[in-house]
Amino acid sequence: MKRFSLIVIAVWCGWMVHAQTNVTAQSSPASATTNSPDATPPPRAPTLIDSDNSADFDLNGHQAIYRGHVRVDDPEMKLTCAWLVADVPQAGGHPNHIVAETNVVIDFTDTKGQTNHVTSDKAVYLYSVQNGVTNETVTFTGNSQPVMENAQGTQAGDVIIWDRANNKIHFDNPHMILRQNLNGATAETNSPPVKTNFPPGTIENTDKNASNHIGDRPAF
Amino acid sequence: MNAKANITRALLAAGAGLLFAVAPGVRAQQNGLQHANNFTSTEYYGPTNQQQIKSILSGAEALPQPGGLLIIKQLKLEMFNPNGELEWVVNAPECVYDTFKGVANSPGHLQVRTGDGKFRVEGEGFLWRQSDSFLTISNNVHTVVENGAIMNTKP
Repeated sequence: MKRFSLIVIAVWCGWMVHAQTNVTAQSSPASATTNSPDATPPPRAPTLIDSDNSADFDLNGHQAIYRGHVRVDDPEMKLTCAWLVADVPQAGGHPNHIVAETNVVIDFTDTKGQTNHVTSDKAVYLYSVQNGVTNETVTFTGNSQPVMENAQGTQAGDVIIWDRANNKIHFDNPHMILRQNLNGATAETNSPPVKTNFPPGTIENTDKNASNHIGDRPAF
Repeated sequence: MNAKANITRALLAAGAGLLFAVAPGVRAQQNGLQHANNFTSTEYYGPTNQQQIKSILSGAEALPQPGGLLIIKQLKLEMFNPNGELEWVVNAPECVYDTFKGVANSPGHLQVRTGDGKFRVEGEGFLWRQSDSFLTISNNVHTVVENGAIMNTKP
């Protein structure tokens, strides 16, 4: 009987140790997740908008108009233009309409560290959420064709639409100027640039390393 | 801005023989407008929403001037929407309000921010038009938009 009791106690103690081990093992990931330094992303740096000249604010209409040398300095993007109008969101809201006009220049860097440079007469930012789907685009237009440049070359179109929600760029009537890539490095040559006329439409798969499909969405 | 609108209303009210809503140290002036220290003026929405505050104007000093002008020092204007939410806060060290034209201006500094503080603007020199709540900042306009309020960041 004593032997049986000792066996029962030993089994019970062993089960308890096993149970405690399991509890520890199960709780470890949770505590690790909770205490992870990556759990809370660092706060995003603010966006700055400066203009040397005047700016108008319609406080009833929640709209701001900047004139002169307008600069937008964002952690992921820099923009300059001569005129910019932005809807000021209500508390907790998101702006849905921003227009930049005249000598618009935007520089942004994607997740691969590639710098993209866009010039146009006009850029229109639109944001909306419909049926739970976020639509966020920047449309570049102008009398002179908007142009996007990066390390792979230069692309122009009658209209360039930067679909930020889907990380794609759409060109209407696109024209591409490609730099020849020799030995895996970008080569600067004196030869005239190669111009290729693509049919109208999306050319997102033309060069996945270029700016047609962007892995990141820098802020406007 | 609205502060100025409020000031306007307060001034008109003072000219009509009324007092600022809160005015310790008020003394009468010959023109009917009154000098006020540490004043506050509260404006309410119209007959449909009489209990709701539209704006609160406060200042360290209001100095009546000839021609219906009023110098306001340490101006602070808070504007609320009909739901009672704070929409705008305006601060200016000093401005001149024209009670006849309903405009205010100053060559000095101005700060404006939304109620949640995520949109802040400052600059030098301004003109405020009370009739349509329209503000022009003349120079060195600097805007801060906090935490991606203007543009979305990453998907």
